[in-house]
Amino acid sequence: MEWNFWAVMTDFDLLLLGLVNTLKVTALALLFGVPLGLCLAVLRLSGARLVSAAAAFIIEFFRTTPPLVQLFWFFFALPILIDVRMTPFIASIVTFSIQSSAFFAEIFRGGIQSIDQGQWEGGKAIGMTYAQSMRRIVLPQAVKRMIPAFMERSIELLKTTTLVSTVAYTDLMFQANDLAQKTFRPLEVYTVVALMYFALIFALSQLSIAVEHRLAKSGDSTVR
Amino acid sequence: MEHTWDFAAILANWRVLWVGLQGTLIVFAATVTLGLGGGLLVGVCRYAKTPLLRLPSMAFVEVFRNTPVLVQIIWFYYAFPILTGIEVNPFLAAVLGISLNTMAFSAEIYRAGIQSIEPGQWEAGRALGMAYQQTLRRIILPVAIKRILPALTNRGIEVFKMSTLASVVAYVETLNQAKLIADLNFNPIESYTAVALIFFAVLYPAVQGTYILERMLRKSE
Repeated sequence: MEWNFWAVMTDFDLLLLGLVNTLKVTALALLFGVPLGLCLAVLRLSGARLVSAAAAFIIEFFRTTPPLVQLFWFFFALPILIDVRMTPFIASIVTFSIQSSAFFAEIFRGGIQSIDQGQWEGGKAIGMTYAQSMRRIVLPQAVKRMIPAFMERSIELLKTTTLVSTVAYTDLMFQANDLAQKTFRPLEVYTVVALMYFALIFALSQLSIAVEHRLAKSGDSTVR
Repeated sequence: MEHTWDFAAILANWRVLWVGLQGTLIVFAATVTLGLGGGLLVGVCRYAKTPLLRLPSMAFVEVFRNTPVLVQIIWFYYAFPILTGIEVNPFLAAVLGISLNTMAFSAEIYRAGIQSIEPGQWEAGRALGMAYQQTLRRIILPVAIKRILPALTNRGIEVFKMSTLASVVAYVETLNQAKLIADLNFNPIESYTAVALIFFAVLYPAVQGTYILERMLRKSE
């Protein structure tokens, strides 16, 4: 077996385009997924039993079904149910926004619940409403504690976006499949792509470890 | 557009889905055993004093934790056979990818569990004249594994969901079979909804079980 990277190198721009698309899907899924996760967490923590149960069901449903099944459902099934033109891009964004929001909701909930009850009482004592206490007192502290879990989840999301290649969205994985078929060099193509993912994700992991240590030093973190 | 839900074709083809579910369970059983079992080995090696064991296991963990599992499966399916001449069928590719990934993740869980045990326990083992391995096996691991049980069951649930990735290399599992039904009967809504419900039905009780387990362990600590 002889390694020959020539074919990969001449078409490297195709892989870079895929990488950009991978980052695009991840970024957009975060953009929609995080606020949606916060909403779900607040609903789940709500005093109204019915609202809380409904939010809990949505969260559990999206956490316990495989992301690939969700992606297929949004891509193949949803357009029949409601009259929309579904593209691989939209299906990918919708799936990963909702899927990651279920996980972010649990991170938000953990963060909010970790805040001492006295903080709520303090807010109430100086006349703040629930929403005001949440926004001004509880969330700022909770978010700081959530950062490590949040970063870990975002890295998981980045890895999971490889699934979008199965509905033919041109992410890095899809470009790799394409290039491997065109060049008859699957060994080199997939190895290079694995290395690209590794470099990106390893760098992000190291960054998140560094941030975790910083937070641990400044106190008020769940990491000891 | 008005859609009338019709699960007749799904019910008529329940055998097809059943074969798929069996495939899912086989991949799950193989990967969860190899992944959590092998992870213990790697986790212990990562904690070893000799760099000969520690460094390779560290590299292994970093490589498999920091690459997407789909890339691993596809690499084993298309690239690995060229490199080694070993023929890889869809089942083997899926099992290799998912279990090596799980080994890397669970190795970190075991390591955290071992490190969470206070040093006094090691010293006590030594004081009684136990070797490193004896202390590890008789004193440290039983306590550590109890502590990390919730993390391990969570990994198991992740592995069950990951098994759907085997469909990408055309291994016959639940999602792959649903795709088949959807293509033959033109009913993607019902097919994919059925798969989602099957996974939910299996995993929801499992998740509730882990919550109960966590609560029980917290009480007994």
